[in-house]
Amino acid sequence: MSERLEVTDTSTDYESVPETLSDRTIDPAIIAPGAMMSPPVDSDVQAARDEAGAARRGFRQLLPRMSLKLALGLTIVIGITLFGILGPLFCQDPTDSDNPALSPPSAEHWLGTTKLGYDVLAQLAWGTRGSLMVGIVAGLIALILSIVFGILAGYKGGWWDEILSLFTNIMLVIPGLPLVMVIATYIPGRSWMLVALVLGITGWAGSAVVLRAQARSLRSRDYVAASRVAGEKTARIIRVEILPNLLPLLAAQFLFAIIFAILGEAGLSYLGLGPTGSITWGTMLNDAQTGQALGTGAWWWFVPPGLMIALLGAGLSLINFSIDEIINPKLRLAPENARRVRQAKRAGRGVESVHVTNGGEA
Amino acid sequence: MKFYARRIAFYVVTLWATISLNFLLPRLLPGDPADILLAKMQRAGGELSETTVRNIKTLLGGDTSSMWDQYVAYWGRMLQGDLGVSITKYPAPVTDLIAAALPWTVILVGLATVISFVLGVGIGAWVGWRRGTWVDHLVPFTTVLQSIPYFWLALVLVAIFSVALGWFPIFGGYDVWAFPEGPEWSWAFIGSAVYHGFLPALTIVLSSVGGWLLGMRNMMVSTVSEDYIVTAEAKGLKPVRILRTYATRNAAIPSIAGFGISLGFVVAGSIVMEQVFTYPGIGKLMIQSVQNSDYALMQGVFLVITIAVLAANFIMDIVYGFIDPRARHNV
Amino acid sequence: MIRNAKRRAALIAVAGAAILGLGLSGCATGGGNDSGDSEGRTLRVWAGSQTPIEANFNPFSPSVLHAALGPIYEPLFFYNKTADDAPAPMLGESFEYNEDGTVITVTLKDGVKWNDGEDFTAEDAAFTFNYEPNHRDGLISAEATDDTTVVLTYETPQFTNEFQILGTTWMLPEHIWSEVDDYTTFTDEEPVGTGPYVVDKVTDASYTVVANENFRDEGVPAIKKVQYIGIDANQSAQDLLTAGELDWTGMFVPNPDSVTSNGVISMLNTPQDPTVLYTCSNAELGCTGPQTDVAVRQALNVAIDRGTIKEKAFVGLTGDISPTFALLPRDQKWVADPANEVSPQSPDATAAGEILEAAGYTKGGDGFYGKDGAPIELSLISVDGWTDYNDAAKLISEQAAEAGIKVNASTVQWQEFSDARQTGQYQLIMGGVIGTSVADPFQIYKDWFAGESTSEVGQEVPAGRWNFSRYDNAVVNEAVAAAAATNDEAVKQEAYATLQTEIVRDLPYIPLVINATQTFFNTKDFTGWPTEDDLYAFPPAWGSVAAGYVLQHLEPVK
Repeated sequence: MSERLEVTDTSTDYESVPETLSDRTIDPAIIAPGAMMSPPVDSDVQAARDEAGAARRGFRQLLPRMSLKLALGLTIVIGITLFGILGPLFCQDPTDSDNPALSPPSAEHWLGTTKLGYDVLAQLAWGTRGSLMVGIVAGLIALILSIVFGILAGYKGGWWDEILSLFTNIMLVIPGLPLVMVIATYIPGRSWMLVALVLGITGWAGSAVVLRAQARSLRSRDYVAASRVAGEKTARIIRVEILPNLLPLLAAQFLFAIIFAILGEAGLSYLGLGPTGSITWGTMLNDAQTGQALGTGAWWWFVPPGLMIALLGAGLSLINFSIDEIINPKLRLAPENARRVRQAKRAGRGVESVHVTNGGEA
Repeated sequence: MKFYARRIAFYVVTLWATISLNFLLPRLLPGDPADILLAKMQRAGGELSETTVRNIKTLLGGDTSSMWDQYVAYWGRMLQGDLGVSITKYPAPVTDLIAAALPWTVILVGLATVISFVLGVGIGAWVGWRRGTWVDHLVPFTTVLQSIPYFWLALVLVAIFSVALGWFPIFGGYDVWAFPEGPEWSWAFIGSAVYHGFLPALTIVLSSVGGWLLGMRNMMVSTVSEDYIVTAEAKGLKPVRILRTYATRNAAIPSIAGFGISLGFVVAGSIVMEQVFTYPGIGKLMIQSVQNSDYALMQGVFLVITIAVLAANFIMDIVYGFIDPRARHNV
Repeated sequence: MIRNAKRRAALIAVAGAAILGLGLSGCATGGGNDSGDSEGRTLRVWAGSQTPIEANFNPFSPSVLHAALGPIYEPLFFYNKTADDAPAPMLGESFEYNEDGTVITVTLKDGVKWNDGEDFTAEDAAFTFNYEPNHRDGLISAEATDDTTVVLTYETPQFTNEFQILGTTWMLPEHIWSEVDDYTTFTDEEPVGTGPYVVDKVTDASYTVVANENFRDEGVPAIKKVQYIGIDANQSAQDLLTAGELDWTGMFVPNPDSVTSNGVISMLNTPQDPTVLYTCSNAELGCTGPQTDVAVRQALNVAIDRGTIKEKAFVGLTGDISPTFALLPRDQKWVADPANEVSPQSPDATAAGEILEAAGYTKGGDGFYGKDGAPIELSLISVDGWTDYNDAAKLISEQAAEAGIKVNASTVQWQEFSDARQTGQYQLIMGGVIGTSVADPFQIYKDWFAGESTSEVGQEVPAGRWNFSRYDNAVVNEAVAAAAATNDEAVKQEAYATLQTEIVRDLPYIPLVINATQTFFNTKDFTGWPTEDDLYAFPPAWGSVAAGYVLQHLEPVK
């Protein structure tokens, strides 16, 4: 048994699970961390046993594990959603101009007022509602389209794949915002539904590509092949075998779609092509911009909507993080293991003091 | 070889499709350019004499031939390199306007995107390597950065750095007071251009680096758990070498593959950003043409943007096929 | 690993420092304010051009650059838009009408040269008036009887067209323009004019004009170089003003104090153009909706809170409007009844209610007035993006509701707005009226109120006319005709008195405010600007003839 050379960095991974780069689905075999391949250290064995005991089965294995990031993300998103739902009930009328114009934050108006005297906090609450609605509707539309173009194409293969892929790639390559600008200019009276529709039908291409890759790899799985041999219809296979396995991925894509829809709507509103007659974060930014908020130093009008967009995006991204950790368990396990190794080394139970009796090196 | 052939074929088809789409969309726009121009002039505070009104209407009457005829004529002119005449800058040809604006955008957006990509992938690799440490806790902040609207960031940067602090210029691609003769090939001019391009580039970099950083970090964490990395460590290779020669290269592959998708978002963001900075690029032309129903200019700019994105994707595809043999063989 | 990251960071830092160093070196040479010390400071102007700037100085082109109109090309006389002054001589020395106003004889100044050295003569003037795009309907002939006299003969009296003929027709050199094939595509990149400046250089981002050495007045212009730049965002222009890098512009700034507080820039506000609610008022010509009833219009007129609109939507910068559409104090002498000098500035919901009830409307349970069970509901549209109008529309909607009238405000794209007002298919539109360039509201009466300037709903109004309200009142039409045919002030005043009684009662356009025109200019480095006491010209940089006139008066501060 040779002595292990001291390594300057102790970030090695003992619990590596064999996985190919392209295969990122969540077969049940992967979730339970019992499938270790390398000789364990004492403390690791104990930890693994605990985990195996607590391993979740069934649907719960699809839910992300609670971690700081997830907690933070959920708090932000749920907080903002609640603000959007309940806020308008408790705030002043957002279109009541009876207040002094452009007044800074005060006890009466927590976020000050706009150029017309509207209460910024009330506008923000209604704007949250508006933006969330646009985001969710657009996200749903994008999701459905990407399922059709992605999963269907990936699973079916052949001519279906060629045609759907071609269309997907074309939509992918055509620059999104100019396309949306041109379409939005065409529609004179734009309700928020219409804007959401336009954003949805121009934003699905990216998700479709990812889903297609996944569906393609799933196509070759044993259980899918078994279903096919058993004579099940395509629709049923997709619904029963493929979609559930892709659920975390779909959720992640949906959340991405929401944030990009909200960003897209903000951009459109800034250019004056956003929804007419609704209050969203984007229209608030547009009003602030045309009302020369920055020029008059009215930061309380211009900053909050942008911050809200950034916050919501951050929250959704954090949730996506945790979902990513389900899809790709290495993302969760690796940092934990690295930390554990470091702690062990600090406690004097590092690599160089281990005598491995089995003859193999870790 | 088949891989390349397929990709080329795909791009040709995509090019045809986008050109046709480009032809179709502006024609769906309502709008009588003559009316719009007259209103612009009136709103800008001019008295409009009868003769002015008459002249403009003669100038800008609509095109009344059938859609198919227009389509064929469009292709004919396209292949000759004639993109028409702009209405807002009558009678300047569209190709001239685009040729003057294109270098600015390509240089600024191109450079900024490359910097952003390199920074994002580089820092992402480092953060991924340092998984499990305190660095991991910084990652959520990059998600905030990634979600900030481009134009909001641009306006805030201008308000803070240009107006309040005066460190950077307020608008333009170069110092218009110092160079009234226009762009010239001198160090002073290039310096001025770089100085003026700093804030716009910063906007692009700040807004897009987060995406690449996060993607790279995740890939890095996955890759480092691979067998071959473990083997390399076991064999005693220095970590630096492992990081540089094995881990980063493999982890960067999906980032390169996804470059094309991300480029679309960068283009979108830079369009609005150019408007804020009055940066003399293509994005600003695009906005102007849409707002003024300048069909010819809008079509021309749309086409150029699409071709540029297509070209970037194509190059990336070639690069990807080059660096990842699996892609070549798994067509 | 650490080394790698460090090296990477070091590389980035070095690259960044190199770029910054390069940039700062560039900025050191380029950031200075002075260019051309021997000739004095360049005047920096933004007249509204957007980038990219294309060289086009053809006065007939819709994309003509601002410097062409006024600083380069000039008309015969200068009319001061802001005051009741007699026209000042520019290229013409004096003029007179014949008895019935069909012949105008103009005496031109002597010894004027074009900027290429050729003499400006009556031949050029005659050529200009005969030139196709200038050729007015009704012009019989334009003749040069000698070197400095030109005679214009028309079919009908031209008293009220004086400004168009003598104040806006740009004098063209015959020796250049007789060679031009197509005046619509001619870009005229080296314009030959009589004005104080000639073109020096045009680039994408700016264009420069320099002093015309052949200018008729000695020592004018005192400012040798003027640079016009292109800017796309109003915010940038405002920032430049605040930073002291822009010397002259006319633009809307909601908080002008933030700009003028830098001690360099001063501001002048000259409200000029009325902002009104167009109403489709004439049911006989096809208008539909509650606003065809004059009582509804009158009620709305008193229900509106103009004071709040001025303060909140227009940031307190607008002028108070008169329902006679005479611009006060300039047009003071044309207002017949002092009671009509100003529209009510505060709302009177009770008065509105009384007007409606007298006309047979009753207040419903929901607080809104209606007739025969149908409540009054009006739609008010404004162009999306014209925020001051959009804001005003929102406020009007609220104020009307308080008086019991339901007004639904919405925004539309420009095209829809234009179609709606041209064809009369609307109820209420928030829009502007073109203010007159002379101290006489006649043009407004003719173009906006006369029956000859309108058409049925469904058809566009005649070209060059603006009677969107479909108002057709025989009394008014007669008054307009009477005023057009004479130069006698007393006769005109009588006609106006009759006319004003009608339009103040009928309110085909509900007056709102006089829209502000703000001009910002550098009083620290330059002098000679128009001031509040001496408003010798309409001050903004885009003011066309006035801009050229102002430039002739400017001098650098010693």
